[in-house]
Amino acid sequence: MTDAPHIPQEDLALYALETLSHEESAALRVHLSQCEVCQAELATLRGDLAMVALSVDQHPLPAGARDRFALRIAEDVRPGQPVVKRAEPVPIDRRRSRFGAAAWPGWLAAAVLLIVAGGLGYEVSVLRARLDDRDSRIAALEANESRVKQVAEVLTAPNAQRVLLTAAKTPPAPTGRVVYLASRGELILQANNLAAVPAGKTYELWVIPADGSAPIPAGLFRPDAAGNGSVVLPSIPQGVQAKAFGVTMEDAAGSKTPTAPILLAGAVPASGL
Amino acid sequence: MHGNDSGDMLLMDRVRGREQRAMTEIFDRYSGLVYSVALRVLKDSGHAEDVMQEIFFQLWRNPDSFSPSRGSLAAWLLVIARNRAIDHLRQRRFSEPVDEVVVASATNLQDEAERGIMMQRVQGILGELPEEQQRSLRLAFFEGLSHSEIAEKTGQPLGTVKTRIRSALTLLRKRLEA
Repeated sequence: MTDAPHIPQEDLALYALETLSHEESAALRVHLSQCEVCQAELATLRGDLAMVALSVDQHPLPAGARDRFALRIAEDVRPGQPVVKRAEPVPIDRRRSRFGAAAWPGWLAAAVLLIVAGGLGYEVSVLRARLDDRDSRIAALEANESRVKQVAEVLTAPNAQRVLLTAAKTPPAPTGRVVYLASRGELILQANNLAAVPAGKTYELWVIPADGSAPIPAGLFRPDAAGNGSVVLPSIPQGVQAKAFGVTMEDAAGSKTPTAPILLAGAVPASGL
Repeated sequence: MHGNDSGDMLLMDRVRGREQRAMTEIFDRYSGLVYSVALRVLKDSGHAEDVMQEIFFQLWRNPDSFSPSRGSLAAWLLVIARNRAIDHLRQRRFSEPVDEVVVASATNLQDEAERGIMMQRVQGILGELPEEQQRSLRLAFFEGLSHSEIAEKTGQPLGTVKTRIRSALTLLRKRLEA
């Protein structure tokens, strides 16, 4: 969900038709990435477009189109190699009649089997390696997707706490914005206009618990050249109700307790949001 | 996803298992639809076949580009076919990646007979739309013209063109639901 107004239906229809310019599409894409309402409407509009596509008169495929496709996917299975046609099954009695009395010596048959088995063994190992590679790529993609989903959920959760962290009297003022989902122990900080940190130092974010217990370290970060820094989903305990958040400067390895002064601080509003 | 689309989903599972026969079954089911859309846009059987072959080959190479969460396979293929044909027509390379295209469709397009009935129904509804709406939609959908290009071609204000396209789609949806 997003607080921005939804995309007008007219514009969404043009987006679905892919007739907008790159710039116009990019602007809509930003909103769409955050707005489930517009995503759903876009999917419905595409469903309408599918119906328009269905209205065209049907034509038979060009001659040989199916064979060309079948050949292409067959070649794709074993790239670079000619398609091997499956051998016709040979009836047992027919085989006997061909080889009957003049059967090959047993050792020759065994050698052939050995070669075939070796070849199959190699093929199996290649396939297994491919499967392993694919599994690891799928696992990486799933992990990435899971993290993206997690970030989106924290940013869009209606019960997430959003706190603006500011430092007074230092124009341009460094600011930090925390989005915190206490029940899941998930937090995102986006900070801007931060001063560069000296060598051997780092900024550290703290969760100040509402029950008065010790501040909880919530991630180290160093700003980029533009003064922007962020902490995304640090490892912090779940279920800690926060009273406030703070940022201090610590040694590069981080600290277990905050070192004064607190450079950025923000209290959680009474409403909790 | 429509309940009757489960056959497509089973086939796609087998395609993920690299089963060529399943892929050719998918091809047999929907290649005519995809080719006809591409032909309507490109008006050239060779180019239309190129687009059609590429769509199915990419589905074979990357079956996960489609998932049931993205709608029914037939509706998804129809949208991809139109978009790829327009890419080809306009020599552009910026249509949305296929794995991001989500199509919500409650229509069962898997059964050929039902598809034929639906096709006639849609043709009837589109034919009854006001001529200006039909023209704007046709230019946008089958020729890939932007709203400003349509406005220039028809001499209508930009806003009017946008409204006509949206109204045409809304009317189509409402009448199909009726």
